[in-house]
Amino acid sequence: MNGVSYVELWRALLPEGCLTLGALLVLAIDLAAPASRPAAARRGAATALALMALAASAWATVRAGTDGAAFGGVFALDRLTLVTRLGVIGLALLTVALAGNLSRLANAAEYLALILFATAGFTLMAASNQLLLAFLALELASLSLYVLAGFDKTRPESAEAGLKYFLFGGVSAAFMLFGFSLLYGLTGSIAFPEIARQLAAQPPSALLVVALVMVLVAFGFKAAAAPFHLWAPDVYEGAPVGSAALIASASKLAGVAFFARLLWAGIGAPVAATWLPVLAILAAASLVLGNVAALAQSNVRRLLAYSAISHAGALLLGVMVAGRSPGSVVYYAVTYGLATVGAFGVIAALEAAGPSQRIEDLAGLHRRSPFLAGCLAIYILSLAGIPPLAGFLGKFAVFADALRAGGLTGPTGWLAFLAIAMGAVGLYYYLLILKQAFVAAPKNGAAKIFIPPAARLALGVAAVAIIVFGVAPGLILGAF
Amino acid sequence: MRVPAHLLWLIPALPLLAAGIGAFAPRTARRTTAGSAIAAMAISFLLSCGALVTALRDPAVHAVHNFAWFDLGHGALRLGWLLDPLTALMGVMVTLVGLLIFIFSAGYMAEDANFKQFFCFLSLFGAAMLGLLVANSLLLLFICWELVGLASYLLIGFWFHQPSAAAAAKKAFITTRIGDLGLLVGLLWLYDATGSLLFFDGGEGVLEAGPLAALSAQTTVGGLAVSTAIGLLIFCGAAGKSGQFPLHVWLPDAMEGPTPVSALIHAATMVAAGVFLIARVYPLLAADLTLPSAPLHALSVVATIGAITALLGAVIAVGQNDIKRILAFSTVSQLGYMMLALGVGSWVTAIFHLLTHAFFKALLFLGAGSVIHAAHHEQDIRRLGGLRAPLRVTFATFAVGMMALAGVPFLFSGFWSKEAILHAAHGWSVSQLPFAAGLIAVVLTAFYTTRLVAEVFLGTPRGEGAARAQESPAVMTVPLVLLAVCAALLGFIGTPWWPWLQRTLDPTFATEPGGFGLMAVSIVLVATGLGAGWALYARIPRSSAGEADPVERRAPRLFAALADRLGFDELYAATVGRLNAWTAAFADALDRRVWDGTVRLLAGLGLFTGQVTRETDENLINGGFDAASGGLRSGGRAYSRGQSGDTHSYLRYIAIGFTLIALAVLLGVRR
Repeated sequence: MNGVSYVELWRALLPEGCLTLGALLVLAIDLAAPASRPAAARRGAATALALMALAASAWATVRAGTDGAAFGGVFALDRLTLVTRLGVIGLALLTVALAGNLSRLANAAEYLALILFATAGFTLMAASNQLLLAFLALELASLSLYVLAGFDKTRPESAEAGLKYFLFGGVSAAFMLFGFSLLYGLTGSIAFPEIARQLAAQPPSALLVVALVMVLVAFGFKAAAAPFHLWAPDVYEGAPVGSAALIASASKLAGVAFFARLLWAGIGAPVAATWLPVLAILAAASLVLGNVAALAQSNVRRLLAYSAISHAGALLLGVMVAGRSPGSVVYYAVTYGLATVGAFGVIAALEAAGPSQRIEDLAGLHRRSPFLAGCLAIYILSLAGIPPLAGFLGKFAVFADALRAGGLTGPTGWLAFLAIAMGAVGLYYYLLILKQAFVAAPKNGAAKIFIPPAARLALGVAAVAIIVFGVAPGLILGAF
Repeated sequence: MRVPAHLLWLIPALPLLAAGIGAFAPRTARRTTAGSAIAAMAISFLLSCGALVTALRDPAVHAVHNFAWFDLGHGALRLGWLLDPLTALMGVMVTLVGLLIFIFSAGYMAEDANFKQFFCFLSLFGAAMLGLLVANSLLLLFICWELVGLASYLLIGFWFHQPSAAAAAKKAFITTRIGDLGLLVGLLWLYDATGSLLFFDGGEGVLEAGPLAALSAQTTVGGLAVSTAIGLLIFCGAAGKSGQFPLHVWLPDAMEGPTPVSALIHAATMVAAGVFLIARVYPLLAADLTLPSAPLHALSVVATIGAITALLGAVIAVGQNDIKRILAFSTVSQLGYMMLALGVGSWVTAIFHLLTHAFFKALLFLGAGSVIHAAHHEQDIRRLGGLRAPLRVTFATFAVGMMALAGVPFLFSGFWSKEAILHAAHGWSVSQLPFAAGLIAVVLTAFYTTRLVAEVFLGTPRGEGAARAQESPAVMTVPLVLLAVCAALLGFIGTPWWPWLQRTLDPTFATEPGGFGLMAVSIVLVATGLGAGWALYARIPRSSAGEADPVERRAPRLFAALADRLGFDELYAATVGRLNAWTAAFADALDRRVWDGTVRLLAGLGLFTGQVTRETDENLINGGFDAASGGLRSGGRAYSRGQSGDTHSYLRYIAIGFTLIALAVLLGVRR
């Protein structure tokens, strides 16, 4: 690392700097505020600070530009980084605005600070071009998410979710670190381009296979892909709704972008024959298991979890074909994240109005809040992949890339067919949700639902964004 | 102010924004919604005037701004905006008439509970209609075309709690959809044949010489040129939208909607969209005129349909008793005139008549609205009467509109535009029959307009509502006066001595000298119609609502047939309707017996698989692990109160998954 420029480091790390500074400020101001101030005022100040930090970070991201490697190749500042960072920050913004039931949580400031720390981890994952930095970024994000999942100390389910998520995350991190150290042993380098160069020069070995499978186990955990998905339903069900939204959306986007870079730039196409089959197995298993198991769910959050597993299958397929351009898979992850954050936002509003975990609790939503029901319809139909919403275009872009990569009868082509067939199965349970929301009559005594203005704005923004990205996919796809 | 082509999107965007505001505003936000709708229309009007100024600087140029919507395979699907005098003039007309009708509606609908939705729908309509005008792509035009149809459906059925309104909305939507199917097929065919849907694209557009020559050079079934076939398919869409025979049946029923809707959509603008479409793609339809051996010219079909419609509408209008239905059939007839003008090759006179008709027919409908509003929702002319004294402004303006419609010479715009059409029809080399139909319709038009005015305004009130009538508020009468001024004066932009409009639209337009004999003939015919109407209805006004119509007394069976609209609805119900019912019954049986069973079977299979998976997941797999790790769990339960036993088996899953996958890949790589 000769000729290291600290100006470059400043420029590359400013987005994370903004987020970290924002998190510390949120904590400090909450600590310094006199206890006599009402909780609502403290919460409002913390939320405003967090939103400002996210906005500043987005500004710094744009300012960092896309002119290649920075700080001796530790960071990659390219279009993938730019779009992923912006997407992650946008999803975190929506999550902060939507976490309407913050009032239920003591220590709202800590919660928001943790969201900011996690977001810093996500943006760093998107930018890292080196094993060590990548691992640190992943751990920063993961540790914040573990605490976020278990944050609601008044509910045992939340504690259970936090603990389970931690155990799974810990085991998969161990696998990944083991895999990373094997990669280092094989190549003697931790920089992605150098690893790729070394691996291309070696014959494929059993050690490489073991290393790659270990790394991919961690990927499977991060993306909630079968058979490493078992944590997802419990965590989605138990975690506070904002945490679940963040785990389901921003975390997934960052993971997909990071692994797409690691696999294609860091390990490389010449040895793709060793890792593509692993991804194919995970993708096929997730598509089938996620969709079929979702059919039997009666809890909305668990249903969303199995839906997430099935989408993980499509995302893995997208990573398999991201070699030419990661545009389609990033588009898929961003739009999937928007719909998921929105759906969790609807759940947050419902839960603030009363207990609602079962699908039947959605009954008559269009009477109780037409706005909420309309937004929910957009999110769910986007998840189901109905045109002209963004979910359809995401599937279309990924499947088109899959067919382009291997033709109709190549392995990716077969996976695309499987995904399309499973999409038909998925439509069933997605429409079950909408049937409750629009057809079923509200239960006796079900009152109108109040939605805080910030949450209302965020829900509207998410819905409009889904439509806009669906009609003009070039806004994201054109960036690559 | 100049509005270049790349800014044209603003004109439809503003009403769309107003529609969005209306859609999301709460039900009580009446002022906000109506205010934003009217403001958006007003700004769009100013922008349209700017566009007109821009277009008039060089009338022969088609200024375009094209852009790629999205990439498709190796090409891109491109859309665009088009600025030429046709677009700009239509834009000014639509925004001006629209603005006046929006203002009128604020008074007319003031007591309606769904006031907010009404303005939201109106704005949506305005946006779609303006989008249709500025489109430089048949696809974009088609999208707006369908949106216009949707807005029309919503507004006809605005009082959906009345079964007749709901049925009329459905009928309008389905009937126009039949025509739209043709338009869609034509559009696809055109894209297949030329690879583009842009009208003008620097020599590549479908209305430019190169692609047109290629289209007319190929032939298809029956020796038709491809351009003829595509042109006729597009005409199907235009015929549906513009209420041309035999798809005219929906337009009179559409009068179930609120009267401002009838004025805006079903008289002035939307129904004229078909005429606009044909004028826009006129080069495509005219491409086959250079082929002397063609078995059929597309324009001949247009002229024939137009002539039939012009005559048919005028005949049926004579036997109607509902004030709005008389005007509706009159609209059908006038649209027929426009199509006739297009068919005989004079598209500029069609647009001339379109513009004058828009103003005087909007005036007549709003006048009818004012009458209906004043007479407590009485629409039957037999129970009206004697409204001249209480409704002075309405009467004066209505009379102006009526004289413009009847073609009273010199001072009224309808005279000049109708005259131009008759002149063009007379000069058509193929046949004189359309000309003859046009002349007969002139007499009938003068006759039924006289009947309408005499029955509504002269004599004595013959009903409860008419007796208590009071003039409408200023918010309604001011638009009437403005429209009346336009209806009178607009004709002077296209007289034979100074054909400014014609020259602007088509710089090659030439007025042949002569034709004053023809003008004299038509003045005589108008006088005949007016005189006959006067003699039958105004000389001795009707004394009671129950009294038989003078025509009915002289020819009862003819009048009954006319009142029954010549049985078209019954004919359609007996043929198309019955066929449709049979097909539906068959499809229903097929659906219930065959498909439903299959779907149920598949759904059952899916559910069964899901159930099996859940059972497997919960009992077999989890259970198996539970049993296997039972000993461990009972031992660990003491210190692992925070952990569920499942976590162990979950974690074990990771190890097993890792081992299996690694083994599978290793074996695969070895081989």
